[in-house]
Amino acid sequence: MLGLFDNDYGSDGFRQCSVTGLQIHQSVEKYVKLFALTAIVALLYGGIFALTVAMTRWEVVGLLDAGDFYTHLSLHAWNLLIFWMIFMEIAILYVGGPMVLGRKLPLERVAQLGWLTMVAGALLVNYAIWTTSAPDQAPLLTSYAPLPSDPLFYTGAIVFLLGATISALPFFTALWFEKRENPGQTLPLVTFGAFITAIIAVEAILGGLAAFSYALAWRIELIGSIDAALYRQLYWIVGHGSQQINLVAMIVVWYFLTHVVGGAEIVSEKVSRTAFILYLFFINLGAAHHLLSDPAVSTGWRIFNTSYAFYGATFASLIHAFAIPAGIEAGRRKRGLGGGLFGWLTGAPWKNPIFSSTIFSIILFGFLGGITGVLMGQLQLNMTWHNTLATVGHFHATVVLGTTVAFMGLSYFVIRTMFMRAFISPKLASIQPYFYAGAMSIATLMLMYVGILYGVPRRTSEVVENIPGTDFSLAAAGPLFNVFGIFALLAIAGGVLFLVIAVGSVLFGKKLEPGDNADLTPDGLVYPDGGDVETADVEEEGNPVHTYDMRGTFVLCLIFLGAFVITYVLNWYLLSQLWQIGA
Amino acid sequence: MTDRHSSSFAPLVRATCRRYWNDLLSIYYANTPIWRVLKSFGLLFFGFFCWSAAGLLYSYRPDWTFLYYVMAYGFALILWGPLTHFVILPVAIRLRRTARHPVTRTFAKKASKINLTVFITIVLILGTAPISPMLLDFGTLLEDDDRQPDVNPDLDCVVVDDLVECSLSDPTAIDHVVVTSGDRTLETVTDPPFAFAIHVDDLEVVVGQQQFVVELRDEDGDTIRRYTRSLAMIDEA
Repeated sequence: MLGLFDNDYGSDGFRQCSVTGLQIHQSVEKYVKLFALTAIVALLYGGIFALTVAMTRWEVVGLLDAGDFYTHLSLHAWNLLIFWMIFMEIAILYVGGPMVLGRKLPLERVAQLGWLTMVAGALLVNYAIWTTSAPDQAPLLTSYAPLPSDPLFYTGAIVFLLGATISALPFFTALWFEKRENPGQTLPLVTFGAFITAIIAVEAILGGLAAFSYALAWRIELIGSIDAALYRQLYWIVGHGSQQINLVAMIVVWYFLTHVVGGAEIVSEKVSRTAFILYLFFINLGAAHHLLSDPAVSTGWRIFNTSYAFYGATFASLIHAFAIPAGIEAGRRKRGLGGGLFGWLTGAPWKNPIFSSTIFSIILFGFLGGITGVLMGQLQLNMTWHNTLATVGHFHATVVLGTTVAFMGLSYFVIRTMFMRAFISPKLASIQPYFYAGAMSIATLMLMYVGILYGVPRRTSEVVENIPGTDFSLAAAGPLFNVFGIFALLAIAGGVLFLVIAVGSVLFGKKLEPGDNADLTPDGLVYPDGGDVETADVEEEGNPVHTYDMRGTFVLCLIFLGAFVITYVLNWYLLSQLWQIGA
Repeated sequence: MTDRHSSSFAPLVRATCRRYWNDLLSIYYANTPIWRVLKSFGLLFFGFFCWSAAGLLYSYRPDWTFLYYVMAYGFALILWGPLTHFVILPVAIRLRRTARHPVTRTFAKKASKINLTVFITIVLILGTAPISPMLLDFGTLLEDDDRQPDVNPDLDCVVVDDLVECSLSDPTAIDHVVVTSGDRTLETVTDPPFAFAIHVDDLEVVVGQQQFVVELRDEDGDTIRRYTRSLAMIDEA
């Protein structure tokens, strides 16, 4: 089709990627492209609603009334938080699994069926939200019962989740074959990370199937009533679980792309694997923060989930936050590219949008999304954040500045190395991550500020003016909303630019030959087999990667820790000022 | 022992301080495109943080007037950070290499000090005499005269025979009340105290329960409060 799925494969169906050195079978590549392209269509569609939602929030424009706002917000959330992400994540599973392992994609027909089922589910959900009418309510992302939504919505969500499960089967099968053929051998780190992602996805999907089946049974009146507290417990297994899949998939992308285009080494496989295992046990418990204000759960349950369990996941994130930049620093120093404290970082290939997207994702996720996530995940601080726009700022920091920016980098990588197309404008492609990440960061910060500074609510279409039933004015937040509105528009322009470059390059980009991607490889003579001259020499002399200086990463971690401590102390101080016991 | 220790300790501290000061200077003067971007964005975010965090703290501690200076520092840094690293330093560095006129050469040589002096002066002026855009105004949270009134009356309903009779505890600021069930409008009440009665048989079944919605609206027709009630939840008189 349009030559999009063609490449020069050998008689056995394999070809060697000139950037990663991987042996890629056409069956894997075909489905990676298919899922990635579908994800980009979802991004385009959901992105349209980013404009209408942001321009409603910015009340100078005040585009939509309350009814339309919820419909648009629901379409924005479902297409971007679910469809864009999960289609891309299936592509990541196929890259992390059969592609990295150099295998064919097993069960090709199942992958095809999975894609069709996911598309059918996504279309059904979109149709149901778009045609919502009384007594049904547009479901936002939370789709809280007993607020009723269209039965087609619940059906669509179930079909989509089943589709995602079917699509994941070829990945699990590939791993099964690999382990049977190579018993006792460990999986590569990227495959291991993808495997953990898939397990967390299964947990989330089971919760989602339970929640949406329960709600559907109630909505079509198979059962007479629904227990709202039980529904919320079930819902958040998928509601937040899906976002944890985004997180772990994003970290897999970080390891993969920093290695192939940044020259990063794995500083310690064992430590990184341990961090993934910590995610497996603890990350889904992070979903508990949505239920901290619910009367139905016990205090003990809340304290366990938001302290002991939560620290397990946070610790894992901190390990990755050190391991990935340390890998880049050590890898680049090893290649003689790391002068001074930060020379390894500033001398990196910043004009390569794959690299810059990945690094911006790491930095912005860590500073803006990660710190705020830990704050909000605490029983006490949660109360000051939860129902304000600060929470919206938090999840834009994690899912947009983190995952979406990382996935944009991955999309660029797929365009160059799998579609084998040159960017229609290399200059614009270089600028796009800076433009998008910069503008989106400011818009996100403004959301956090209006939430935490003024307590601006997040569930009403009105944010400053005319909030129903308020005895106070939020007019003082108006100037920050002006900053938000302008930067939201700029960020949307950055998103449009990405879509223009991505779709334009796939359709009209110059076809590349295998040797044309040399500019993507990290500096320092990295060869397709993954080794390089210097590395080979150095390792023979007994200098493993951890003997290289990582003081730049250490300083960055100290800066991160400083920001963490200041933000933490500030939030606790403010909370202590709200209730002065005995004062 | 102690003397030897102190005599070796002091040079070590000096050397370490010198090293970190030189590192800091080299970062300050680093002028490659990516350094300019990283420093500018870093300072921009840091400025936003200092400005908003100091403003927030000040709202709780109005006696901590030193926070005006932190606020001023952050507020000025939002512009001055990118200006310094995107414009002033690159120009100064270029002038150091190319300028021929003695005044220009002196300016280029002293540019960083001049820049920092101007910046600190701006911070001191703003901190001493704060301008309104710098102050995040928390006072209007409770003092705005144009505020919306708090419209939050109780909706009391009882079932009498086949009628659901409802009344509001306080009609203030309500223009009219609209009662709907499913997609049908059952009643529009325009006169205070906005009591109404609806027939049980008129209530539509929504997911197994007979329900109705009461919307309180202002004179523009905007909804100011909405209540959803199901018949099963209402007591009989």
